[in-house]
Amino acid sequence: MSRRAEEVRGNVIAVTLLLAGGIIMVAPFIWMVSTSLKLPADQYSRSLIPPIFTLANYHDIWTIMPLHTMLWNSLKIALIATFGQLLTCSMGAFIFAVTRFRGRDALFFLLLITLMVPQQITTIPQFILFKWLGLYGTQVPMYLPSFLGGAFGTFLLRQYFKTIPIELAEAARIDGASLLTIYWRIYLPLAKPALAAFAIFAFMFSWNDLFTALIYLPSDMQTTTLPVGLALLQQQYAGKWTLMMAAVLISVAPIIVAFLIAQKQFIEGISMSGFK
Amino acid sequence: MADWLGRVSRGIAFASSVLWCSTALADTELRMTLFGGPVDIAVWQKLSADFEKTHPGIKLKVEVNDWDSYWEKLRVLVAGGTAPDVFAMDASNYPDWQARGALLKLQPFVDAEPDLLKGVFPISLEAYKTPDGYYGLPRDIQTIALFYNKDMFDAAGVAYPTDNWTWDDLRAAAKQLTKDKNGDGTIDQWGLFAELIDMEVFWSSVLWSYGAEIVDGKNGKTLIGSAEAMKAWNFIAGMVLDDKSIPTSEQLRQFGLDGFQAGVTAMSVTGHWSVPDYTPATFKWGVAPMPKGPVERATSINSAGFTISSTTQHPKEAWELLKFAIGPHAQEELAQVGYAIPIQEVITASPAYLVQEKAPIDHKLFVDALAYAHLKPVFKGYEEWASAVGDALHRAWSGEIPIADAINEAVAAGDDVLANNR
Amino acid sequence: MSSTLKPLRGERAGLLLLLAPTLLGLAIGVFGSVLATLALSFFDWDMLTPIKWAGATNYTSLPHDRMFSVALVNTTLFSLIYVPLTLAIGFAVACLMNRHIRGISLLRALFFLPVVSSPTAVGLLWSWIFAQDQGVLNSFITAFGGNPVNWLGPKVILYSVVIVNVWGAIGEGMIVFLAGLQAIPRELYEAARVDGATAWQRLVHVTLPAMVPSLFFQGVLSTIHAFQAFDYIYMLTRLSNGNSTFPTLVFSVYRTGFRFFRMGDAAAQAVVLTVIIALFTLFYIRIQKKFGAEA
Repeated sequence: MSRRAEEVRGNVIAVTLLLAGGIIMVAPFIWMVSTSLKLPADQYSRSLIPPIFTLANYHDIWTIMPLHTMLWNSLKIALIATFGQLLTCSMGAFIFAVTRFRGRDALFFLLLITLMVPQQITTIPQFILFKWLGLYGTQVPMYLPSFLGGAFGTFLLRQYFKTIPIELAEAARIDGASLLTIYWRIYLPLAKPALAAFAIFAFMFSWNDLFTALIYLPSDMQTTTLPVGLALLQQQYAGKWTLMMAAVLISVAPIIVAFLIAQKQFIEGISMSGFK
Repeated sequence: MADWLGRVSRGIAFASSVLWCSTALADTELRMTLFGGPVDIAVWQKLSADFEKTHPGIKLKVEVNDWDSYWEKLRVLVAGGTAPDVFAMDASNYPDWQARGALLKLQPFVDAEPDLLKGVFPISLEAYKTPDGYYGLPRDIQTIALFYNKDMFDAAGVAYPTDNWTWDDLRAAAKQLTKDKNGDGTIDQWGLFAELIDMEVFWSSVLWSYGAEIVDGKNGKTLIGSAEAMKAWNFIAGMVLDDKSIPTSEQLRQFGLDGFQAGVTAMSVTGHWSVPDYTPATFKWGVAPMPKGPVERATSINSAGFTISSTTQHPKEAWELLKFAIGPHAQEELAQVGYAIPIQEVITASPAYLVQEKAPIDHKLFVDALAYAHLKPVFKGYEEWASAVGDALHRAWSGEIPIADAINEAVAAGDDVLANNR
Repeated sequence: MSSTLKPLRGERAGLLLLLAPTLLGLAIGVFGSVLATLALSFFDWDMLTPIKWAGATNYTSLPHDRMFSVALVNTTLFSLIYVPLTLAIGFAVACLMNRHIRGISLLRALFFLPVVSSPTAVGLLWSWIFAQDQGVLNSFITAFGGNPVNWLGPKVILYSVVIVNVWGAIGEGMIVFLAGLQAIPRELYEAARVDGATAWQRLVHVTLPAMVPSLFFQGVLSTIHAFQAFDYIYMLTRLSNGNSTFPTLVFSVYRTGFRFFRMGDAAAQAVVLTVIIALFTLFYIRIQKKFGAEA
C-alpha cells in the first residue's frame, strides 16, 4: 500500500471515530443553545428544535442586569492574568527543564505540593495578607498572583520544554548566547503550541474564577466580574432554564473565541513539523 | 383603616428621621450586605437613595450576593477584619455568629426607643432574643402553606383543599393525584412536592401537629425520636415509601427540583418565597392553610434579619440604617417584591402586602398562620445538626434503611453535634 | 533528551532572574498555603474567635467523622477509575486529532466544549440522561429489553459521576497531549517507516516514549483533579440541606471548615488529602524513571 493511501485510510478512520465521539461531546452544548432559544413555557420540552424560536432570553438578561461592565471587567482581568502566567511560568519552566542546580528537584516537588493543597483552608490567611498590602477592594488581587508563576503552568511548560533537544541550547551557548537569550530566542518560539495550550487554560481559570472576585471585589455591578453576576442571576431564576442557558452561553462565548484563536497555533505547529 | 395606619406610621418614621438629622455630624460611609437576587438590587437602589435623603451626611453602599456566595464572603470579611457595618442574617445561623462575638449588642439602642418594636410581630422577635438581649432584629417572616394546582384537581375530580383538611385528607388526595398519565408503567404525576431533608417546609410542621418537639438546644437534646414524633414519621414514610405520592429528590432533579413549579405535582408545601416563582405558571393554582394533625394545626415560622458588626466604626449610624431597613417605608417596598411577609403588622394589613397585582392569591392566609406557628428552632451548631439529621433521613427516603433506624441514627448524630457546640 | 545545562558562573544572575517570580510565588504558596494549612491542623479555629492549640486531636478525631470516612472511600474509588480512563481516552483522542485535515480544528473545538460548559447549566441535562423513569439512558436499556438502572442511586452513582467527569475532562487532556504530540519530530516517524514499522509499532516505539513527559503531567494533574473533584458531582448528588449523597474530600473540607466553623478539623482533612496526592505523585515519578526519563 502506498504511503498516500495509508494516510488517507488513517484519516478516514480517525475522522469517523472523532465524529462519533464529537456528537457525544457536543450534544449538551447544542442543547444549551437550543434551550436558550426556547420560550420559558417550553423549557422542559425535550425536542432539540425549539417549538417556537425566540431571542427574548438574551434580551431579558440585559434588562435584568447590564452584563457589559461585568464582561469588560472579566475580560480585562483575564487578559492581564493570561499574559502574566505565560511570561512568568515559561521563565520558571525553562529553568526547571533546562538547567541543573542544587535542590532543583526538591524545589519543583514543593511547587507541585502547592497545587495539591485544597485552597479553601487558606482563603482567610491570604485575605489578611492582601488586606495588609492595601490591595483589598481593588482588582489587583485578581491578577497579581498570575505574575508569580504557578505550579500548573510551570509544570505544563516544563514538560514540554524537556522534549526540545538540549543540543539546540548547547549549540547556542557555544555561540555565546546567555540563558536569557536561549530562553527568549530558542525555547519560546519552539514552544508555541504548548504556550497556546496553556494560554487557553490560564484564560479559562481567570475567567471562571468566582471565588477571588467574590472575596476581593465589592459585589456591585460596576466593579465585579461575570461569574459573580451569574451566581446572582441563578439565585433568583433557578427554575428559569431558558434564561440561565442564555446567560451561561454569553459567559462561555469568550472562552470559545480564545480557544479558536489559540488553536491556530496548534496547526502552525503541525506545518512546522518538528525542529528542522 | 389599614391605609390610615400606614400613613400614620410613615409619618412617625419621617418625623423621627428629621429629628435624627439634627444630631448628625460628620460624613460617614456605611456598608451593608445582604443575600438575594437582581430584584433586591433594584429595590435597595431606590431604598438607599431614600435613606441618604433622610439621613444627610451618610453615604450608603449596598452589596447583594446569592445565598451561597453571601455566606462565603461574609465569613472571610468578618474573619479578615473588614466586616460590613450592617449585614443580613438568617435566624437559623444567628446563634453561631452571636455566640462568637461577631455581632453588636443592640439592646441599649432598643431600650432607648421602647416604642420601636411595638408594631412588630412578637413571634418574629423571639428568634433574635438572647438571655443578654437583642443582637439582631428580624426583617421579614416566612410561614408555610399548602399550594395546589387547580387544573390537576379538576382533571382528577378531587375537591380543593379546605381549611378543615387533616393530614389524612391530604394523604388521600395525594394518593388519588399520583398517576401514570401516559400508561408507560411509571409515575409521571405526583400528589405532593415536599422537601423531605430540611425541616422547614414539611416535617417540622408534621411533627408539631402530632404533638412532638424537634430539639432542645439549651440542653443539647434532639427530640425527633419521641413516641409522638415516630407517629409523624410513620405518616410521612407512608406517603413517601408506600403511596409514593411524594417524589424523591432524585426523581425531581430532572424537573429542576421544584416539582410543583415544573407542573408534575398537584400540591406543594412551601413558604411565601415561592409565590413569585409560581406566579408565571401556565396552570391555575391556589393556597390553603397547612392541614391539621391529631393534636393541633402547625406551621413553621422563620425570620431573616439584620445585624450590626461588633467592629463597626459607626454604631450609631448603623443603628439608624437597621431601623430604616426594618421600618415601615422599607418594609412597604419589600412587601411589593413579593418574596416575604413584612414584620410590621400594619403593613401586612395594608394593600402594599395584601394586593399584589402579579399574584392575586389570599396573602392574608400566610399572616393568619402566625396564630398556630412554631418558631423554627434556633440554636448554636444548627447547620451541622441539620446536616447530620438530613443525612440520616435521606437514607430512609431512598429506601436504604427503615425510618425507625434512620431516626435513631439522626438522634445520635444530632446529639453529638449539640454536645460539641455547648 | 534528558541532559541539562549546568549554569556557568556568569549565568547565575540570569537563572535567578528567570526563576525570581516563581520563587516569590513559591514562598507565598509554601507559607501562605502549605505551612498555614499544616499549622492550622493543630489548632481549633472557628474563624471568628482566637485560635486555640489542639495538639493532634484534629487528626485523632478524623476516623470518627462519618462524612470524612465516606468521602475518603468515595474519592479513592472515584480516582482509581477516573484517572486511567481520562488519560486513555484523552490520549487516544489527541492521537486521532493529530493530523493535518481540513476542518479538524472544528472537531477539536467540539471536544473542547464540555470543558467550558458550566456544570450548573449541563446539570439538568445530565439529570435527564440519568433519570430513572424517562431518562435517555434507561430508554435505551429498556428498548433492548434490559431493566432500568437507578443511575443516581447508591449502587451506581460512582460510575455515573465518573462518566460525567470523564466527559468534562477529555478536552483538557486532548489539549495537553496535542501540544506534546507537536513536539515529536516528523523525522522520527519517517525513519520508523523506512525501517518498516507498523502503525502500532510506531505508537509504542516513537510516540509513547516521546510522550512520557506529557503523560506524567496529565497523570499528576488528573489525580489532583480526581481528589479535588467537586462541582459535577455536587450538581448530580446535591441534597436540599446542602449535603451530597456522594460526598467527596474537598466537599468535606469545605463543609467542615466554612459551614460548620471547624477550620482546624478541615485543615487536618486537607493535610490527609494532600499527603495522598503526594504519594500518588511520587509513585508516578518512580514509574517515569523506570521508563528511562527524568522526572
